[in-house]
Amino acid sequence: MADRGGRSGPDWGVLSGIAFTFFALGVTVNVLVLERVGSEVKTVVAAIVINSATTELAYIAVRDAGGSLIAALIAGWIVASRFGLLAASLGSRLNVGRWHRAAAGLQSFDPNVGVAVQQRTAHDVMRTFWMVTLAMHAGWWSGTFVGVFLGNVIGDADRLGLDAVFPALLLAIIGNLLRQRPGLVAALVGGAVCAVLVPIAPAGVPIIMSLIGAVAALRVRQPELAS
Amino acid sequence: MSWWVITALAAGVAAQRLIGMFAGTALLTKVPVFGRLAGLIPAAVVGAVIVQLTITSKTSLVIDERLAGLAVAGVLVWRRAPMVVTIVAAAATTALLRAAFGW
Repeated sequence: MADRGGRSGPDWGVLSGIAFTFFALGVTVNVLVLERVGSEVKTVVAAIVINSATTELAYIAVRDAGGSLIAALIAGWIVASRFGLLAASLGSRLNVGRWHRAAAGLQSFDPNVGVAVQQRTAHDVMRTFWMVTLAMHAGWWSGTFVGVFLGNVIGDADRLGLDAVFPALLLAIIGNLLRQRPGLVAALVGGAVCAVLVPIAPAGVPIIMSLIGAVAALRVRQPELAS
Repeated sequence: MSWWVITALAAGVAAQRLIGMFAGTALLTKVPVFGRLAGLIPAAVVGAVIVQLTITSKTSLVIDERLAGLAVAGVLVWRRAPMVVTIVAAAATTALLRAAFGW
């Protein structure tokens, strides 16, 4: 795993798992976006500049359900707020200049920040962050171009169980955090808050409120010598 | 999705990332109480994203074959299996249950 035995940086197994997952996401998400947008160029430009698949999906979901333009925009923005939280977490571990910081902020996603913050030194955090970012983009962009220009080569993603791939990847990424009591409490409480809020709160809000999990875990102490 | 919408979505997402990176980082590093919070945020946020992807469908809670896939992934992560094995096993479990029960 990412930091087993204090090794610096992710290994090839981690990077290829991330690239594979993002390839599958790139194909399936962009096939869906192209269907709604109707233009290949627009689909690719939207993927580049928005840089958040969940934002595109949230916008489309609200519009499909008959929601207003404003409601759809707000949903798209709110689901991306977690990237702000993750960027803040990453930023506190970086020791780089302003422009490098801005570039890292604009590329903050769940997998790259999740793996990077588990590294020990600021240098390893930065190096790991960019390695995982590269693996994500390699997978995502090859998937995007396949999805947009070759069509859905994967077939029925749900029938193949591909909707289980991203949560499994995320679980593997935070696996080491879950081995420590504060990380476990943060994830369990964050997940529970999300589950309670999903039926009653607007899209995206359950994820922001998972911050309560991190606050709750502040009170939990990690026993010494536990790994 | 018009060009105007694409621009608005892109600006909103980028702004939040930059606010997090600059204002959020300043808050986490300068206010002592928030210092430990920084390390706990990824576990909390990713934990919530996992829940959302596994047991919800739009605005309802749903228990289906995705949860079985995640359970298998959980065991494999706990046993420190390679990541590729974990994600393929999660997908295979979900796909097989779906084929078997037609969920």
